[in-house]
Amino acid sequence: MATHERKTIDLEQGWEFMQKGITKLKNILEGKPEPQFSSEDYMMLYTTIYNMCTQKPPHDYSQQLYEKYRESFEEYITSMVLPSLREKHDEFMLRELVKRWSNHKVMVRWLSRFFHYLDRYFISRRSLPPLREVGLSCFRDLVYQEIKGKVKSAVISLIDREREGEQIDRALLKNVLDIFVEIGLGTMECYENDFEDFLLKDTADYYSIKAQSWILEDSCPDYMLKAEECLKREKERVSHYLHSSSEQKLLEKVQHELLTQYASQLLEKEHSGCHALLRDDKVEDLSRMYRLFSRITRGLEPVSQIFKQHVTNEGTALVKQAEDAASNKKPEKKDMVGLQEQIFVRKIIELHDKYVAYVTECFQGHTLFHKALKEAFEVFCNKGVSGSSSAELLATFCDNILKKGGSEKLSDEAIEDTLEKVVRLLAYISDKDLFAEFYRKKLARRLLFDKSANDEHERSILTKLKQQCGGQFTSKMEGMVTDLTVARDHQTKFEEFISSHPELNPGIDLAVTVLTTGFWPSYKSFDINLPSEMVKCVEVFKEFYQTRTKHRKLTLIYSLGTCNISAKFEAKTIELIVTTYQAALLLLFNGADRLSYSEIVTQLNLSDDDVVRLLHSLSCAKYDILNKEPNNRSIAPNDVFEYNSKFTNKMRRIKIPLPPVDEKKKVVEDVDKDRRYAIDASIVRIMKSRKVLGHQQLVMECVEQLGRMFKPDFKAIKKRIEDLITRDYLERDKDNPNVYRYLA
Amino acid sequence: MHKLGRGSRDKVQQFMAITGASEKAALQALKASDWHLEGAFDVFYSQPQIAVANTRHLEELYNRYKEPDADMIMVEGISQLCNDLQVDPQDIVMLVISWHMKASTMCEFTRQEFIGGLQSIGVDSIEKLREKLPSLRAELKDDQKFREIYNFAFAWAREKGQKSLALETAIGMWRLLIAERNWSLIDHWCQFLQVRHNKAISRDTWTQLLEFVKTIDPQLTNYDEEGAWPYLIDEFVDYLKEKGLVQHRR
Repeated sequence: MATHERKTIDLEQGWEFMQKGITKLKNILEGKPEPQFSSEDYMMLYTTIYNMCTQKPPHDYSQQLYEKYRESFEEYITSMVLPSLREKHDEFMLRELVKRWSNHKVMVRWLSRFFHYLDRYFISRRSLPPLREVGLSCFRDLVYQEIKGKVKSAVISLIDREREGEQIDRALLKNVLDIFVEIGLGTMECYENDFEDFLLKDTADYYSIKAQSWILEDSCPDYMLKAEECLKREKERVSHYLHSSSEQKLLEKVQHELLTQYASQLLEKEHSGCHALLRDDKVEDLSRMYRLFSRITRGLEPVSQIFKQHVTNEGTALVKQAEDAASNKKPEKKDMVGLQEQIFVRKIIELHDKYVAYVTECFQGHTLFHKALKEAFEVFCNKGVSGSSSAELLATFCDNILKKGGSEKLSDEAIEDTLEKVVRLLAYISDKDLFAEFYRKKLARRLLFDKSANDEHERSILTKLKQQCGGQFTSKMEGMVTDLTVARDHQTKFEEFISSHPELNPGIDLAVTVLTTGFWPSYKSFDINLPSEMVKCVEVFKEFYQTRTKHRKLTLIYSLGTCNISAKFEAKTIELIVTTYQAALLLLFNGADRLSYSEIVTQLNLSDDDVVRLLHSLSCAKYDILNKEPNNRSIAPNDVFEYNSKFTNKMRRIKIPLPPVDEKKKVVEDVDKDRRYAIDASIVRIMKSRKVLGHQQLVMECVEQLGRMFKPDFKAIKKRIEDLITRDYLERDKDNPNVYRYLA
Repeated sequence: MHKLGRGSRDKVQQFMAITGASEKAALQALKASDWHLEGAFDVFYSQPQIAVANTRHLEELYNRYKEPDADMIMVEGISQLCNDLQVDPQDIVMLVISWHMKASTMCEFTRQEFIGGLQSIGVDSIEKLREKLPSLRAELKDDQKFREIYNFAFAWAREKGQKSLALETAIGMWRLLIAERNWSLIDHWCQFLQVRHNKAISRDTWTQLLEFVKTIDPQLTNYDEEGAWPYLIDEFVDYLKEKGLVQHRR
């Protein structure tokens, strides 16, 4: 057997041979002239170790060789490495360290190859640290532990120098910091504890001092520029030579020192803070502000608060402006929603456009800013101007756009666009029901008096409203628009009916618009005494309508009618366009030349208010179709009227306007009444499902249910609850008056 | 009485002293409960008709006061009754009596109400009723009974067929009832109602006012405006603040 023939090598002899190899390696590392290891050299060295480890005990020297292996490193480090490092300082020391470390790694690689056989059996059997680790830990224990403090200081001072603008050897730093990582042998402990912690602290100190002076010297935009630049630099620093795990921590430190610490001071800088930036429309700076403050926790909240405050102020100023304009207006025009209010709505729309752009662009559509914008608009959009609620203003604004000859002259696209924006504003208005009611009134006027400019726009805004407020909101309005189409069809049928029954022809052209009562605003219908000519018309139409449907009730609203009548004056015949009421009144004069006020009242069977209005329009306003005694500008119960046959006008056809009755109060009352029903219904709905519920909770749920249409007043809800108690829908709990029970 | 043992006799006397019932009623109640005093009270109070006063006497009394041409005691009869009892018709004790009679309307007693009521009070003559007056008055001091009487008063005082109580009547009743409670805001309340409200009072407001009087101190420090107090009471609180009659909180 070969092994038996092999001569036993004793430790001394064997180690002497190894020592030679190790010295050769050291010489190579020290850069002394020495030939490279040849494969034979390597094989001899390896074989020696192999042989020494495979001899029978007591000649198995594995244990001793394992120790010698470590000692070789220790010896080299103490005799060569440490002295050369100790005599160098700062950057030179760092360079030396990098060199020594890479040499050391080479040495570990070679030696561990020579001793490789140890790794395979001795070490793995006894679970000792493997050779590579022993080699590296020697460096860690002897070199790293001694100089890590110095190294760290040197590195940090270099970094600080770079922060101040000096050029430094980044590759060197990269190498040094790699040592911190590698020396951890797979953990980051050394890097973190021996370097990173100190760097972070130093960074904090550095920027804390910087920030202290910047915040005093610089304006807010300048400060932000610097802060952004610093953050950018630090980020680059990480990518150049720090470990990537430091990025987050480092940036957080910098953000903390530069932003968190001075956030409020920065935002509130008097002439350049957030307020000023908003005031001066510094879009770019605001975007930067967003970028910076979005980095720190709760950083955006104060910004959004300031934004909200700013928008609120701007809006409130617009309200105030409109208010002043309205109070300077002539008193007789006060009740009309006029040009000023149109301008006001325009301005609000512009304001909205502007700040929506801010939210989406500067503030990247962050929810906090959407919320701030919404809250701000809710504040002033619900204020109203000089007695007109914002709901009314918006409805009027739409009317002006949609009606023929409104004050706004816009292209189709512009109309669509404006309508879109109005509908978006509506979202901020809490009294949506009030808007709906006003809108319906105006829509009715547009449709019935053929004032609507464009059917498509009418339908398009309804679609928009439907999207925003739900189908229930627009169902009546849609019904109105549809009604009108149906009504036209009806009219054609009626005309056919007349031509096929010539004996029924009343001798007057009659057009009737048949509508569905439920869709339209309610109108007073009086039993006015119509002139016999008109009575006949109505009868014919009723007869026609009977042929179409049996189960419907037809109510004629004369107050909405118009008549074209030919009036024979001495000079010429003039066609007068008047309302049905006016016509009925004028036709009375076919039978009498003079009529007293009281005769007119009895013959027409109308209220005094209406008659006064009619007479005023015919005798005291622009055209004096009737002469009045006494001849003054107001109607009194003792007046007497006479047909003015001398009247003439250069036109062949004139329209005699009848000023509309102010309906605002009625609309508000109607809405109020509807709200009572809505609250009742909501309370009953809630109680029906919950059976027993505390007061506050009931109020809350009720507000929530109704909030989409209007903001119910707490007091109103309370009143409704009490009313329901009186009507035995609810009762108070016997023991707790704060709790209600539903009575089925 | 002589047939009973000493222990039983004591119990009868004790029972009579506490309930004010007749000996006969006491015996009945005690026998029904196997001579346990506690049980006897339960029996007695749950079936007040046990205290059967002499029905014949009651019929006579009723006939003395009833309207000559209707089966009912009306204003005349009541003022006669007050005369006989030597009390003012406005005296609150008359309300307590009416409560015992379960009278449905003010100034009216039906035969059933009158006889049933006196039975439940446990008297069968004017003299006995007069003797009872102090203990009837004392019932107002009992919290639970006061509440019942107070709530009874609403239905009793309102006009027939009405859901709510006319303001003037309500104020009269409040002045009468709340006087028992020494509520310092009563004058302000009545004044407030006349100035600001001037409408009838709903049952809920009526009931809740007693709660308000009982639980809220006159400086309103424990008043919660978010609470479920009726609207009118909230308005009253606003009125008090507005007039500077109480301090604003916070």
